[in-house]
Amino acid sequence: MAPGSTPAPAPALQARDIHKSYGRHSVLRGADLTVAPGRLVAVVGENGAGKSTLLKILAGTLSVDSGEVTLTGTFGYCPQDPVLNAALTVEQHLRYFAAAHRLPGLDRGRELVRLLGYERYAQSVAGELSGGTRQKLNLTLALLHDPDVLLLDEPYQGFDWETYLRFWDLVDDLRTRGKAVVIITHMVFEQNRFDLLADLDDGRLTPRTASMEEHHVDA
Amino acid sequence: MSTPDAPELRPRYGQFSTALRFSVRDQTRNRLAGLLLVLFVPLWYLVMDAMASGETLDFKLYATGEVLHVDGGHLTLISAGLNSVTMIAGFVVFDAVRKALAFDRRLVFAGYRQSTLIGAKTLAIAAVATAIALYTALAVLFFWRPTTSGWCAVLAAFAVIALTYGALGLLLGVLVKRDLEGFFLIIMGGLMDTFLQNPLGNPLANKPILEWFPSFGPMQFAAGGAFGHTALWGHLALGLVWAASFSAVGLVIFRVRTRNRTRTPHPAEGALLPAR
Repeated sequence: MAPGSTPAPAPALQARDIHKSYGRHSVLRGADLTVAPGRLVAVVGENGAGKSTLLKILAGTLSVDSGEVTLTGTFGYCPQDPVLNAALTVEQHLRYFAAAHRLPGLDRGRELVRLLGYERYAQSVAGELSGGTRQKLNLTLALLHDPDVLLLDEPYQGFDWETYLRFWDLVDDLRTRGKAVVIITHMVFEQNRFDLLADLDDGRLTPRTASMEEHHVDA
Repeated sequence: MSTPDAPELRPRYGQFSTALRFSVRDQTRNRLAGLLLVLFVPLWYLVMDAMASGETLDFKLYATGEVLHVDGGHLTLISAGLNSVTMIAGFVVFDAVRKALAFDRRLVFAGYRQSTLIGAKTLAIAAVATAIALYTALAVLFFWRPTTSGWCAVLAAFAVIALTYGALGLLLGVLVKRDLEGFFLIIMGGLMDTFLQNPLGNPLANKPILEWFPSFGPMQFAAGGAFGHTALWGHLALGLVWAASFSAVGLVIFRVRTRNRTRTPHPAEGALLPAR
């Protein structure tokens, strides 16, 4: 940092020089990513570019060969394929995860259900929900404890247009409140919604705007 | 440690009670298993009773060395009951555990204490297995009226075999990749195990090799209580050893497979770990 410059806020999520190989197949070769609080970053990569690997590493469910991931605050993760219990209702899912996070109540959960517009399914079991509604519940569970850092894997897959817009309202609210959001996707529709787009290519993350520091993605 | 002046921040839902309630719900929603219980159990009893009643069979009690001459129909009803229980308890638990595995992993990742989840799941399995055993033991009364102590012995044997196969269901549920493998192992395993114990048309019955099967203890206990008027507690305990062993292995694998593999604790990452 240059002397005299304003100190940047501590990053909410920082990945430094991440390397990961499966056997002789090298997937990540020095990927860097820094996300400040209140920022929204898209990690964009084609199928097979290593998105899932990077995501698991950021989520902490996969170990790195070398490099370091640091995270400040609470963490929420929304998997691409909804991980739900087909036998439990929407409301019961909220209760189960409220117990997991030791939350004092279901207020935030019910608010999210309302914001995503599926409150009429509150008493339906997950096994009978449509794909889009399952995805909404999947997202709700990741947001239930109002995490400081949020990692979303293809979150708007299966959303209709109205839900897609509601989703962005929700993300805007999170950013306003200083939450860091990383969206992993193979396709970006509206680039201007993001603070930064980082392309995952050849095992590294490259910012889509040319002015950024080489191979180091900051937001 | 919670501060006494902040009661509004206390968790509203206890982890143990929530997990227990939803695990029981998870295991009782299996409609096919319910249908098997209601229709298959009486039908199986009817067929087995018709096949074997009237015949006298020799059944060896290993604890005393005594050979009992028993009504083949009654003995076969015990075998049929044990067999139904192995299949239904194994199937119910296997199906529920396997389907919930990824979800349980997500719960642990979200901060569920693993030991709490495991404890609640185990208790739910025990409760469901015992209920299956109770129903199966009550259904036998339509075909056979043993003495009260005899019926209690049959019930105890059914309960132990239900726990054993419930535990096997748990073990297979966290171990095998596909439904079919688990169902096959439970159905074939249960069928071989329970019917090899019965001398009806089985030359292997009363041979020492049977001691190495999970239903050996419960079958000995049930026959001893119903026909020999003895309570072979050691044999009942042997059945429980099988149940405990299956569940111990199953729970260790469950623990590994739902483990939160987050990076090593670091001051900045404290919040990533389940909050205390």
